[in-house]
Amino acid sequence: MPGSSPAFARPVTLRRTLACDLAGVRAAVQIVRGFLVEQGWGEGDLMSFDLALAEACNNAIEYATGTGRDQPITVEVLSDASQVEFRIHDHTPGFDWPEQIELPSPESESGRGLWLIASLMNYAGYFRGRGENILVLRKSRPSVAPVPKPRLEPERATTSVEKDAIISDMVEELSSCYESLSAIFRYSGELGQTGSLKEFARRLLGDLLRILQADWFVLRLVPKDKLELAVFAASEPALELEPLTPGARAEALRQPLEIEAAMTRQTVWFDAEKPPAADDPLAKAKPGSAGMAHPIMLGGRLIGTLTLGRKQAVGAEAVSARSGAIFTAAQTNVVTTFADFLAIQIANARFQEEQLHQRLVAHELEIARNIQRSLLPSTLPQVAGFSLAAFCRSAREVGGDFYDAIKLDEDALLLVIADVMGKGIPAAMFAAILRSLLRASPELTRQPSALLTRVNRLMFRELSDVDMFITAQLALVDGAARRIITASAGHCPLGLALTGAAAGTVRGFSPEGMPLGIKPDTIFEDETADLTENCRVLLYSDGLTETLDRNGKPFGQARLFDWLMRSTAGWRTAETLKDELVSELDAHHADAVLRDDQTFLILCG
Amino acid sequence: MKMQILGDRLCISDVRELGTANADSFREQARAALTPAQKDIDVDLSHTLFVDSCGLGALISLHKTACSRQGALRLLHPAPAVLQILELTRMHRLFEIVKS
Repeated sequence: MPGSSPAFARPVTLRRTLACDLAGVRAAVQIVRGFLVEQGWGEGDLMSFDLALAEACNNAIEYATGTGRDQPITVEVLSDASQVEFRIHDHTPGFDWPEQIELPSPESESGRGLWLIASLMNYAGYFRGRGENILVLRKSRPSVAPVPKPRLEPERATTSVEKDAIISDMVEELSSCYESLSAIFRYSGELGQTGSLKEFARRLLGDLLRILQADWFVLRLVPKDKLELAVFAASEPALELEPLTPGARAEALRQPLEIEAAMTRQTVWFDAEKPPAADDPLAKAKPGSAGMAHPIMLGGRLIGTLTLGRKQAVGAEAVSARSGAIFTAAQTNVVTTFADFLAIQIANARFQEEQLHQRLVAHELEIARNIQRSLLPSTLPQVAGFSLAAFCRSAREVGGDFYDAIKLDEDALLLVIADVMGKGIPAAMFAAILRSLLRASPELTRQPSALLTRVNRLMFRELSDVDMFITAQLALVDGAARRIITASAGHCPLGLALTGAAAGTVRGFSPEGMPLGIKPDTIFEDETADLTENCRVLLYSDGLTETLDRNGKPFGQARLFDWLMRSTAGWRTAETLKDELVSELDAHHADAVLRDDQTFLILCG
Repeated sequence: MKMQILGDRLCISDVRELGTANADSFREQARAALTPAQKDIDVDLSHTLFVDSCGLGALISLHKTACSRQGALRLLHPAPAVLQILELTRMHRLFEIVKS
């Protein structure tokens, strides 16, 4: 560093412990000040350090609870050519370091400690561990350091044993940081190549186990559409446990660890003293383990949980275990880093999956739309003395409506309208099959009920296998006899408006018959009616009557039949009436989203 | 710490430190010294080397006491380091500070 004395090029450390008593704070702060004076820190910085350290120690003492009050506060100071670092080890329950620290109102008599710490230091980080947390504070040296006279007083000098302990701790933490960083960088590079998020998570967390010297892990994720925690990856097959759901429990009974971590958004620790509930799947799969269940969060949203454990030391082994901590604060920090990294990767993978799904859905809809379009006759056959028009408008999510008009001879037409219950390609495919079967049975085309019976028998198995069904209506128009024979498979009634002596209300034809695909042996019936001059016959799908207006009110059959009756006033072609009905429907649904296909055939006598 | 009554004013001086260890006793001693005749409080900080967040809390508490008597709390001659803490925590907007 320019301007600094070579005497400060080497890091120098001080480690002090103080009892959990506010009365001892100032003395400890004075010792640290003396040490830092020797390291060439100026008065302005020293004042800042005094205050920040005092605030940190006060908090460590004031918030200690239970056995934490019997344990000393440890202060470590590392000063080198570029900066000073303080580490204050506390035994409080810990707290979440706020992302943004705000000053309390001027009248408030407390709550300025963290503000002062954050304002006086360049860096403040709080690392929570089991039974011990570490507050790390750093401040850089000013660009031109004064040239002090190094002087070591025996009572302030660090003993070589203390130095070894600090250096050993630091080496351990640095090594953890290095390993976690290198693992993350390595996997960042590989992520695009592996393709499998599960495999990626398994390998990343396998590395984490090695860094933590832990034995097992379980990664659970919250599925998109379910309120549960499902195992996504685990270190061994025995940990591929059933999904967990939050449930009501007796107050004394502990929730499963992972549910507790998910609900509280806090790390949950477990060991022999605070074991999981007896019915916790982890208690059965990994008895005698100690570890932590960590919530994985992203942008305030719970992504899942990561649980890590190791077989708990017993007897003499336990005595030698480091201060009883399952994972140190530094290791806990590594877990948090891995969990945060994993959360980002999971969110990215899910986003990409969602994008792909949307593209596939759009592609499928396009295919379905093309199939549906190809099923409709390009030109409508006509029969003498009548005019015929048809209309089909697809909803955004293409349904399974289709119509057909099959010319049987110069005087006869078979009109078909059908609605496959379903959306997308499957519905379009069944519509295509139905159309082919209807056209492939010429011997039955003059008996609509017999034709439906045959088609139902042929399609029943395929439809019932996929829980789909089709409503359909057939109408044989005999132009010479001016007669119509209809049969229905659970379809909307055919509307017939007559004129002359038979004029009155519209008659709805809905002969008995269940939809195709419901029962294999459905019996269909024919109904016959005579067609007067200037009559109207309307075959339609329920997309017409169920068209909603802006307020959610359906168009309705009454309004449809009323329009049909009125349409008999005066002579008009089917094409004109088609346009009129489309205008009626458009006026009704205005700019409301079309929820279902709209399809109809209209015949004018 | 010295306390002196000058008419309707309580003057506190010779405070070496105002931190967690002595903030409570500082506040209690000051309140005990007040008679119904005093409404204003002056705290001379010229010899004060250290003030922490608890010390600030004690000053705010005395400020409220003075306000309840229709008086005010003044901080006199704070050293630059203490003035910096007062400004950092925006206390200079709450108290009247008389600089050297």
